[in-house]
Amino acid sequence: MGNVDLRSILTIALFASALRMATPIIFATMGGIFSSHTGIFNVGLEGMMLIGSFFAVYGSVQTGSAYGGLLYAIIACLVVSLLFAVLHLELKANPIIVGLALNIFAVGMTNYLLTALLEVYGVYKTDLIVGFNELEIPLINQIPILGKLISGHFPLVYFSFVSVYIVYLILYKTPFGFHLRAVGEKIDAAESIGVNTKKMKYYGLLVSGLFCAFGGTFLSLSYLTLFSEEMTAGRGWLALAAINFGRMRPVPSLMACLVFGFADALAVRLQQFGLPSQVVLMLPYIMTVIVLFISAIIAERRKKSSLKKGEEDVEFSPS
Amino acid sequence: MVLKKELMNKKQNNHAWREKLTNILAQFANYLLILIIALVIGALVMYLSGRDPISAYGALWEGAFGNGYRFADTLDRSTIMILAGIAGSIAFRTNIINLGLEGQLYIGAFTAAWVGFTFTNLPSIVHIPLCIIAGILGGALWTLPVLYLKLRWKIPELVPTLMLNYIAIRLTDYLIAFPFRDPTAPMAGSPLVAASARLPKLIKGSTINIGFIIAIVLIFISYWFIFKTKVGYEMRMVGLNQDFAAAAGLPVKKSIILAMLMSGGIIGLGGALMILGFFGRFLGGFSSGYGWDGFMIAIVAQNHPFAVFPAALFFGALANGALTMQSVTGVPQAVVAMVKGTLVLFVTVKIFLENIRKGLKKWVM
Repeated sequence: MGNVDLRSILTIALFASALRMATPIIFATMGGIFSSHTGIFNVGLEGMMLIGSFFAVYGSVQTGSAYGGLLYAIIACLVVSLLFAVLHLELKANPIIVGLALNIFAVGMTNYLLTALLEVYGVYKTDLIVGFNELEIPLINQIPILGKLISGHFPLVYFSFVSVYIVYLILYKTPFGFHLRAVGEKIDAAESIGVNTKKMKYYGLLVSGLFCAFGGTFLSLSYLTLFSEEMTAGRGWLALAAINFGRMRPVPSLMACLVFGFADALAVRLQQFGLPSQVVLMLPYIMTVIVLFISAIIAERRKKSSLKKGEEDVEFSPS
Repeated sequence: MVLKKELMNKKQNNHAWREKLTNILAQFANYLLILIIALVIGALVMYLSGRDPISAYGALWEGAFGNGYRFADTLDRSTIMILAGIAGSIAFRTNIINLGLEGQLYIGAFTAAWVGFTFTNLPSIVHIPLCIIAGILGGALWTLPVLYLKLRWKIPELVPTLMLNYIAIRLTDYLIAFPFRDPTAPMAGSPLVAASARLPKLIKGSTINIGFIIAIVLIFISYWFIFKTKVGYEMRMVGLNQDFAAAAGLPVKKSIILAMLMSGGIIGLGGALMILGFFGRFLGGFSSGYGWDGFMIAIVAQNHPFAVFPAALFFGALANGALTMQSVTGVPQAVVAMVKGTLVLFVTVKIFLENIRKGLKKWVM
């Protein structure tokens, strides 16, 4: 433990794996951003992603293709998020409790199906699961350091980063995004200009389900091609912290996701250096609390400085 | 004139009484309906995956209540459920969503176990209370970081409490893997607690012990505390509307601190009772989600201590019955987690209750 050299830890491979570890968190974060902008804090991301992971594996075995798995995951997650939406929007259930119950329900459901459908306990791993292949990007993979960092990832890694930009475009550059954000910020105003607020909330929840399907599929069909109990391991919650840090804006939230991805990758790396796994595996969770702490400090500073300037409305729109 | 007034009073009393009856009946019918929905969904899942739901539920019932010993074991299992449910209720009453029950349970269990195996020459009458106090303190103090973040930096407790679960589980895993490892333990675990720290059993042939009585007593204490004391009143008011409570001069900060510490302390007590009463040593991963059960029980019981008891008994019966169900019929016990999840999903649905109340009014009024 004493002779751990910093240079042997901070390798290119570590940063490359940080990008990979950040991927599922980025997907969940982008999904969560959508529902947050309609005023629904979606605490069910964790459970939805878990359901996505399970059905991705199941679909991959059924169809013999990773993209088939993705399709199964998308259908399952959309069904579950529709259930969430109906319970909250039609039957008036409290969204926080629905989300939390959904997480518990998802653990029960995936564990049940694991045993009842696939007839294993704990972990399902066979050669029948078809995962994604790594994507070598021509030309870029020739560049010495950058090639190692950027090329050779799974397609969903690239897509997660592209999705950040897409989410940004939709939210801030389209009328749809404007209406969606209006629902969360000033629901009365949104209604007065003729926005169907309930419909927007449906969209918000369904889109977060869609993103969770991508996140879940990445977890079970890319680096690892297996499903294990509760394999999301709190990533849906890290996403909530990232949304909080970025105050619902896609790009700043992405920064927090990268920090979490790095902490995850570092934890795996440090285990190889003989540090007790129990201790280093705390790292991502401690990092989450620290990120929340930092974002609270930033928020307070911003508030103070804007008070000094004499601005009246401190809590203005987060865009 | 006087007679008329008296008559009107009587009529009004009668009316109020009927209103109350309608409410109680509506609540009861609502719970019955939700329970049926949850059980039907469980049955549907079993049926769709090619299992026989009727024999599965039969085995579940048999496992939970089949004979006196099984019933006693179910009561023993509901001990932790009661404590977890009350811990959740007290936090929710003050509008704190304590998702960290699981982590607080682990820390409380470990600190109790530590006192249990470190001190070996104490009489039971001293040793058991010491262990229990250690468990309460462990669970309560584990909430301090969250309180600091919430009160000083206004960070909602939702995510930090949850993160501390993962941290607590890994921390205790570390403690029993290295500093306090007992190589003779069947699984990763701490040394056995001294015999003087073990809780006396109530019946031979069952695991039920005085922990159950402690839990029952705590139901009454928490009822008295929440509804009959000034501090409990303040906490409820803060829970109903924090801004209003602050404007009325109620001690908001104090109420939040107290609620969080009590919530953590009570689930820590639950951890202590499990170690001293059931396991006899701290075992890695000993809790099969009791913190989450507590969260669900509190919601199902709508944070009322007296309602926590039947809910906890139901959850305890599901937990014990599921083991028998799995071994007899081969239906995976995870199905009960779906039943529980469905129950919680539908308890918060307000529309059923409103409609049932409307329907009942025609009958009772």
